[in-house]
Amino acid sequence: MKVFLKAGGQLRTMIKPDVDHYTRLVEFDGEKTLAEILRLLPLDPAYIAFIYVESKIRDLSYKPSDGQTITLQPPVSGG
Amino acid sequence: MANGLAGTTLRINLTTGEIKRFPTDEKLMREWFGGRGAIAKILYDEVPRDADPFGPENLFIMTAGPMSGAFIPGGAKISFGSVSPLTNGHGDSNMGGHLGPTLKFAGYDMVIFSGISPKPVYLFIDDDIVELRDASKYWGIGSLDCEPILKKDLGEDFEIATIGPAGENGIRFSCITHDFGRQAGRTGQGAVMGSKKLKAIAIRGSKDLKVFDLKKLTEQVSAIVKRTQVHPNMEPWQKYGTAFFIDWSNKNAVIPTFNFQTTYYDDIAGIDGEKLVEKCLITHKACFGCWMNCGKYTKAVIPGKETVYLEGPEYETGSLCGSNLGMTEINQVAYINWLMDNVGMDTMSGGGVVAFGMECFQRGLITEADLEGHSLKWGSVDDVEHFVDMIVYRRGIGEHFSGGTKRAAEAIGHGSEKFAMQVKGQEMSGYDGRFAPGMMLAYMTCDIGAHHNRAWTITVDMAEGQDTIDGRAKVVVYLQHIRPLFDCWCICRLFWGELDIEPEEIVESLNHITGWNITASEAFKTSEKIWNLVRCHYLERNQANGRTFDYPPARAWEDKIPTGPNKGKGLSKEQVEGMLDDYYSCRGWDNDGNPSREVLEDLTLTFAADNLEKVGLLGKPIPGGIPEVRGERYKPKAF
Repeated sequence: MKVFLKAGGQLRTMIKPDVDHYTRLVEFDGEKTLAEILRLLPLDPAYIAFIYVESKIRDLSYKPSDGQTITLQPPVSGG
Repeated sequence: MANGLAGTTLRINLTTGEIKRFPTDEKLMREWFGGRGAIAKILYDEVPRDADPFGPENLFIMTAGPMSGAFIPGGAKISFGSVSPLTNGHGDSNMGGHLGPTLKFAGYDMVIFSGISPKPVYLFIDDDIVELRDASKYWGIGSLDCEPILKKDLGEDFEIATIGPAGENGIRFSCITHDFGRQAGRTGQGAVMGSKKLKAIAIRGSKDLKVFDLKKLTEQVSAIVKRTQVHPNMEPWQKYGTAFFIDWSNKNAVIPTFNFQTTYYDDIAGIDGEKLVEKCLITHKACFGCWMNCGKYTKAVIPGKETVYLEGPEYETGSLCGSNLGMTEINQVAYINWLMDNVGMDTMSGGGVVAFGMECFQRGLITEADLEGHSLKWGSVDDVEHFVDMIVYRRGIGEHFSGGTKRAAEAIGHGSEKFAMQVKGQEMSGYDGRFAPGMMLAYMTCDIGAHHNRAWTITVDMAEGQDTIDGRAKVVVYLQHIRPLFDCWCICRLFWGELDIEPEEIVESLNHITGWNITASEAFKTSEKIWNLVRCHYLERNQANGRTFDYPPARAWEDKIPTGPNKGKGLSKEQVEGMLDDYYSCRGWDNDGNPSREVLEDLTLTFAADNLEKVGLLGKPIPGGIPEVRGERYKPKAF
């Protein structure tokens, strides 16, 4: 299985992109939840405000399918 | 006409009605970067130190800076400034929308109001026509309600800024509203407008704006557009705006809840961003020239009440008028957002003030007898609506609360100062700093009173460790230099913060627009100069050592967090003192929090050092000299 993690801002440096400026390829055996995939990096989920897959919000229990792109949204300052 | 500038500054004496035109002072704009910087210098130079913020000597300044309107990312801001009636120091606040660019397209960089009009007026600008017009028929009308009336009277293509009854009645945390929901909310700029009997500003502009190197600017901006369109943050941003971070803030247990009594809210699912999109969203909304569309045009539907339309709630309002007031359903939060917008009070301070009132009610410090027979219970929209009405029309104890939490606590007493969640008179933003020490330090040292936008450090705290204060001061100082630059240049900081546009790129844009040829390090130093001048202004007006004013309320160290994942966590008084020591040392200020002559002279502020010396508040010389570079550019820890 492989999935593509995308992130900007501070998160971008944390995922260590290797496909393009924003994207990291993660490969693993069998199905995994997003929580398990993040542990492979490793990346603390506390840095992620929400996870966005094909225009939908997903939680850490979501199991992506092969080739999916997972966008990690960092927290922002607002105001 | 200088590049990037419209060329003309207006000075308007509201007492006499005299309107004068001057060539814009390009030296002032270059050396102080326009916007917040130019405001700081003019207020410092021209407003007497003993001037009443509501008196005729206070100035009210509106300026669009050198980058607003130049078709660059986020180039849509306008800044307002005056001596703040909330903090009694320099105050500035800004907003997006379309007013800033339109002011420049009409031919003006800045409007400086003095005096007090004998009757309600509004400023009418239609290119070269500048008039003060009678606003008697608009006086008393809500901010959101007044904008369409003025558009109907003048034309849809006029850009409008208004105040509501809160500003008219001198509520010290009143805001200015534009574009049906963009606000210059902080430091009570709407109250100063009201004190001057200035109800509104209406502008139409059709002129060109000259830039120094259009070809290079176009090439650079085109590249930024391409890059940001595929940025991972763009689509979620467009869909949710900032409201979605309510859930994240709660998961990490930093969200203010029940007037900052705790930091975790059990009912968050009813008020988070997903609920906003599901239940309230009508459409997305953008400022001038922006492709991000982070604004959310919404409606609030509450049984038994009229359906209302608004922009928001974004994160700050969602937390401070949501969990902080014990609301459990997103329509309640949106309704309170609309209510405060329409009366014209800052939803951040407004949320803080109402929450403080609710905790006073919870503790029996105010009762139904004080509230015209009403209660003030957590989660009650009706109670909030009634209490806001008492504040806006200054009835009974509403008078105490009209000055903000600090003044209300002074009037109520009985130890309520401990949970009046403000610094320097301005209410805290939507993050509890007891287990986010950098954020607490940012509130404590913010130059305009507690405010997150000068230094937002929640993620820094998480990366560096929430149990320690180590390393926080230098990051806060760095952020206090970079973030206010956007308020000088009058551009939105989200392209930097969320879409990875580097400071050097923004400076490059500024140079393409103005031809000023500045560097990023020069920009940071100018921002530091402005920060220090604002500090000097505050000390000169308030006549005591700076450290005196830099403490949060005692809840910060006396009350540990009582519930949630961070239960038992909190700051000690020693940590609060230690952060101030570190911060002053990092800035080259003495341990009393007063800027030293060395640092002021290094920043070309010798005149301010001389003035501080005259009032006995010049900082003592720093043993070993001042740091060569104040603040440290932050890079998150690598994993």
